[in-house]
Amino acid sequence: MERALTVDQRWDLVDRIAKETVEVGAYKPTLKDALAGITVNPWTGIPFAIAVLYGFWTFFGEFAGLFTDGFFVRIFGTHWIPFLGEKLAGLPDWAFTILVGDKAVFAEGFVGDPCFAAGGVLTTGLFMPFGIVLWAVLALFFVLAILEDTGYLPRLAVLIDTVMHKIGLHGFAIVPTLISLGCNVPGVTAARTLETRKQRFIMIALLGVFVPCGAQIGMMEELVPGMIGWVFLTLAIGYFVFGWVLNKIWPGESPEILMDVPPYRAPQWSNILRKTWMRTRHFLFVAVPFVLLGCAIVMVLYATGAMDAIASGLEGLLASVFGVPASATPSLMVGFLRKDLAIGLLPIGAMTNYQVFKSVILLSIYFPCLATFALLLRELNWKEILATLGFLVAMVFVFGGVLNLIGMAGGW
Amino acid sequence: MNKVLLMGQANVGKSVLFNHLAGAAATVSNYPGTTVDFDKGHMMIEGERVEVVDVPGAFSLDPKDRAEEVAVRMLEEEKGATVVCVIDSSKVERGLYLALELIEKGYPVMIDLNMADVAKDVNIKVDTKRLEDILGVPVVTTVATRGEGLKELVSRMKEAKPVETGKIIEKVEAS
Amino acid sequence: MMNNRSTSGSIFAVIIGIAAIGFGILEFVGGEWGPLTVEAGTFTAWRAVILICAGLIYLSSVSNFMDIRQLAKSVVASIMIWIVAAMDIWAMIAASIPSGAEEAGEPWFASGTEFLAAYGPPYMPAIYLLIPSLVILYFVGKRRLAK
Repeated sequence: MERALTVDQRWDLVDRIAKETVEVGAYKPTLKDALAGITVNPWTGIPFAIAVLYGFWTFFGEFAGLFTDGFFVRIFGTHWIPFLGEKLAGLPDWAFTILVGDKAVFAEGFVGDPCFAAGGVLTTGLFMPFGIVLWAVLALFFVLAILEDTGYLPRLAVLIDTVMHKIGLHGFAIVPTLISLGCNVPGVTAARTLETRKQRFIMIALLGVFVPCGAQIGMMEELVPGMIGWVFLTLAIGYFVFGWVLNKIWPGESPEILMDVPPYRAPQWSNILRKTWMRTRHFLFVAVPFVLLGCAIVMVLYATGAMDAIASGLEGLLASVFGVPASATPSLMVGFLRKDLAIGLLPIGAMTNYQVFKSVILLSIYFPCLATFALLLRELNWKEILATLGFLVAMVFVFGGVLNLIGMAGGW
Repeated sequence: MNKVLLMGQANVGKSVLFNHLAGAAATVSNYPGTTVDFDKGHMMIEGERVEVVDVPGAFSLDPKDRAEEVAVRMLEEEKGATVVCVIDSSKVERGLYLALELIEKGYPVMIDLNMADVAKDVNIKVDTKRLEDILGVPVVTTVATRGEGLKELVSRMKEAKPVETGKIIEKVEAS
Repeated sequence: MMNNRSTSGSIFAVIIGIAAIGFGILEFVGGEWGPLTVEAGTFTAWRAVILICAGLIYLSSVSNFMDIRQLAKSVVASIMIWIVAAMDIWAMIAASIPSGAEEAGEPWFASGTEFLAAYGPPYMPAIYLLIPSLVILYFVGKRRLAK
């Protein structure tokens, strides 16, 4: 027979059992406890957080740079792509275009980076995931795993709690946000620990729209390194401002909850390496097929001439609302497949710096990648999905329009 | 016994335990709420194949977030399962609350006082014999991160049995 | 009595605190002074902020240094310096491995002498702070023994 106790009765029973069995000895605070206190006290905690984030970012940048610039640009640019160009030269034009890419890359006197300029499935399509993005996500996942396992992430949450409450979220929302910097998929899943539907909706909408993933960050680091600071600042403004707006207009509650902050622990390296490897492997399985598919679609559209038609059709809209040239069309078209691919396809040489900046922001905002979108369908109900889509369309126009106006005012 | 659910609050080490028991590779971190969905695996107990489920952390059976909803749904779907209630040894009271709820629901329960190393650091001692006597279910101590005590945990799983809440109250009042 | 136990630690905190602030200011200024260099980069200002804050945290731990809360402050400041120094060293390692050549036929990896040369002076400020900051481990160990 079930015999249900009331909550109070149950706690009463717990107290009496604990009194019988648990002996709390004299307790002297240890160095670990003192460290825990100091890292959440704003006066010391914020400088420490800056140091940690500096380490996070620098490690990532140097690691990705070592592999991408140190080796893979050369492996692909000097060896693989010319090799393919030669071996597959006998293929019919359309097949050559899809697999290898633009013939101009192999012509005498070509100036530029063949890794991006080629554009074919076996050239650029392989270079982007294996030459750039793999190293970026590997580094990000590794550093994130260290932050997770030492117990530092929840402390960061305590530090930022006050700010997060202003946008209807709990300090703990920093955890899904940081995880999303590696990949949005586990980030969105991690949002499940938030208490109310409203908080989950706000969190997921903000993650999908304003938080770039490791693959995207890796591409930005490679292609527009000087701009990353501004891109992050703009996206962070969006995250906080529109988080605040969503919190005001979306019905529901965002209550305070107590956060359970675990003790600091020395990380187990075996666990960190395993976690990094599992997430990286998952990333490769999810990302690579889409990047290859995206390259194929773009090259098919080029080969058939459809790309030119679409580009000229969109030219008016792109130019008037966003101030972006029509040559950015292919990039925007595959943005919904993979954002890293989209950034790789931006015609950077043909745009002004400000146009590149705007395009990168628009690409970050305008659609979560397919894998993330599939997850949204599972995590949110229809009303929330439609709201998220409406939100991101609104954000594309708000950010595109405002940045365009700022650009016109500044004469960029 | 054909199914074992690992239940307990967030960040008490259920996933670490799960990885040891099922030889699996569930994601493990040091913050509450890493597991938001359940993971399943298998282990062998005395030649018998037993399914092990790593359930998301739950403070109580009265769900407050999505992860807890998953936990409670899991529990309701697995009426016949043995439940290992994993408790942070340095915060026994909180874990006992969930343990009592599970016992009241009539599940065969056993208790794993995990993170014994942390309890030792903060100088908290738990009288496992007495606890076992009061609750009438097996109680073991483990340090899952270092793999300590797992053998005893597994070998005593079959002793888990449903207990009447009334018996527990009697025991407490008798002392 | 408490203060006697803390004297050597307090002296340590004062010296390294002032040194960290000084080096932090040099990070802001930028330039090269013999074996010491500050390479300008995206994060120079942040490095300066981190070193100066670490210095201030050291200084705030001077009184009653061996008290657990005070000692922990110095540990946090030291970890901040270790992070910056580790990243400076990591940048040296990353720069020392590839040859930097792009043409076919050229070597992929830096030669032995190039590799070693990458670790020669001049060094960044945090690397000079690294060794003295390790002294904190002595105080942590000393406190553990005292218990």
